[in-house]
Amino acid sequence: MLKTERLSFSYNSSYIFTFPDILLDQGEDLLILGDSGVGKTTLIQILSGLLSPQSGFVEMHGTRFQNLSSKSLDQFRGSHIGMVFQQSHFVRNLSVLDNLLLSLYLSNKLQDKKRAIHLLQEVGLSDKLNNMPDELSQGEQQRAAIATALIKKPDLILADEPTSSLDDNNCQKIITLLKEQASLTNAKLIIITHDQRLKDQFNTSIEL
Amino acid sequence: MNINRLSWINIIRNPFNTMLSLLLMAFGVGVISLLLLLNKSVEEKLQRNLNGIDMVIGAKGSPLQLILSSIYHIDNPTGNILLEEVNKIKSNPMIESTIPLSFGDSYRGFRIVGTTHAYPKLFQVNFQAGKLWNKSMEVVIGSDIAEDCQLKMGSTFYSSHGLIEGGKIHNEHAFKVVGILDISNTVIDQLILTSSESISKVHNHKKDSNHTHEGVVGSCSDDHSDMITVMLVKFRSPVGFMSLPRQINENTNLQAAVPAFEINRLISLLGLGVRSINMIAFFIIIVSGLSIFISLYNSLKRRRYELALMRVHGATRFQLVKLVFQEGMLISILGLFLGILFSRLILYVISLFIHHNYSFYSIQLGLIKEELWLFPIALFVGFIASLIPIIQAYFINIPKTLSNV
Repeated sequence: MLKTERLSFSYNSSYIFTFPDILLDQGEDLLILGDSGVGKTTLIQILSGLLSPQSGFVEMHGTRFQNLSSKSLDQFRGSHIGMVFQQSHFVRNLSVLDNLLLSLYLSNKLQDKKRAIHLLQEVGLSDKLNNMPDELSQGEQQRAAIATALIKKPDLILADEPTSSLDDNNCQKIITLLKEQASLTNAKLIIITHDQRLKDQFNTSIEL
Repeated sequence: MNINRLSWINIIRNPFNTMLSLLLMAFGVGVISLLLLLNKSVEEKLQRNLNGIDMVIGAKGSPLQLILSSIYHIDNPTGNILLEEVNKIKSNPMIESTIPLSFGDSYRGFRIVGTTHAYPKLFQVNFQAGKLWNKSMEVVIGSDIAEDCQLKMGSTFYSSHGLIEGGKIHNEHAFKVVGILDISNTVIDQLILTSSESISKVHNHKKDSNHTHEGVVGSCSDDHSDMITVMLVKFRSPVGFMSLPRQINENTNLQAAVPAFEINRLISLLGLGVRSINMIAFFIIIVSGLSIFISLYNSLKRRRYELALMRVHGATRFQLVKLVFQEGMLISILGLFLGILFSRLILYVISLFIHHNYSFYSIQLGLIKEELWLFPIALFVGFIASLIPIIQAYFINIPKTLSNV
């Protein structure tokens, strides 16, 4: 489903990031571990098509990102990839529920309000549907962000340091939630992090 | 949820910035629109009273004063003229018809005008009650006077000397109301009309009492039987405009003035003031554009991550451009309509206060042609103000924005 080969990227000529090849098929979720500065964020942006690699390619469902126009790539990403970031961000003027609906709208999917409410209930935010994102605690925000990424039923969830700013308790909850929801929607999960707490939670991991 | 709704939500969730931009735009538009409406209303009023009067003949003096006093009845007359002298001109083949006016007296501030039946016919006004005068000392009154002075059919009153209240009362002869005119929205609403003989009668009587006429510029000369104040002239063809006024001004002791020309001169003088206020108002519109720009720019700076996030969710560049553009345009369009609404409201309030003083009875609350210019101007200002934020939204660097948080 997802395949990368010989990926490399450099911000300047003095240092070039090179990344191991990834092959994600019917297999399991993938944990990519790495310390600060090894290009974790760069890799996740290449995997999501936000950044083009200097060499090599990313291929998903048989489509190579570099063959897509910028507009098609936006739409491809919108409908197939859900992203979760270390700092969860929202459209601040919209309620949590409306953020989910906007995500559906932007990926050209049916704005199924019932399903959005159901998903928010599942991530434990049933009483925060109409709250503004600013009014949520950090753990709640992270859960809402996961719901926003998952609502459009992506085939791939890319999570960039989803747990680093959370305490152990919340960290565990978020990982469990991510794994649960990913398997529920039949999505593959890739987590990129320096958070060693996650090491034992995944069978497959790559060290950068 | 869609882009249109999000634009709207972004605007109303940011009330202070929005209000500032909105009010500035509304204020600029409102001032211009108000000026245009007032200008039009005054011009219309001036033009309406002009119907059928091509030239005015009166005593020497300021031509504008002659016009203002004889057509609009808002200035003192330049003096009286000998009927005999005007009659010489009357026979000129270029002249189709003439109407004599004699005035100088008033009743409670309303002018009494001695004339012929042709004068009220100029205004094509109907009667509320009664009919035109037949005998001397019978009067027909305008609608405002009937209302203000509580005069009815058959009421009688004495005129007072001079055109303002407080002159000496001519208490030898009483006028009697035989007709009340309908509202015509012209100057005739505020006039008391009678025959020329009535005016002579009141004043000739006075001659015996050795009365002096201080205060009013020559409005009552001693022998009134063969004097009038002005003569209104209608030409047979436009050729009259070319030669007759000059002929009269050069060869006689009379003064001839062309109302259309004098009024254009007056309007262009007024226009100077209107233009400078217009400039100020345009400046306000530009400042409102600046305010829209600053508020968009600032909110975009705070929302950079938000826009990047929307791109991650699958938004195209065009959708972000649309979002930002709509926010700018919505504010300008709302401001535009608010401004146009304001000007109507203010005009309406003004009209309530100055109903009787002069010229705004017939306010036009619909859009006037000149105002249509405000639409492209407001839209253009909104567009220019959104331009830089649009470019920023279009070229937003998603990876950089996302990793810079």
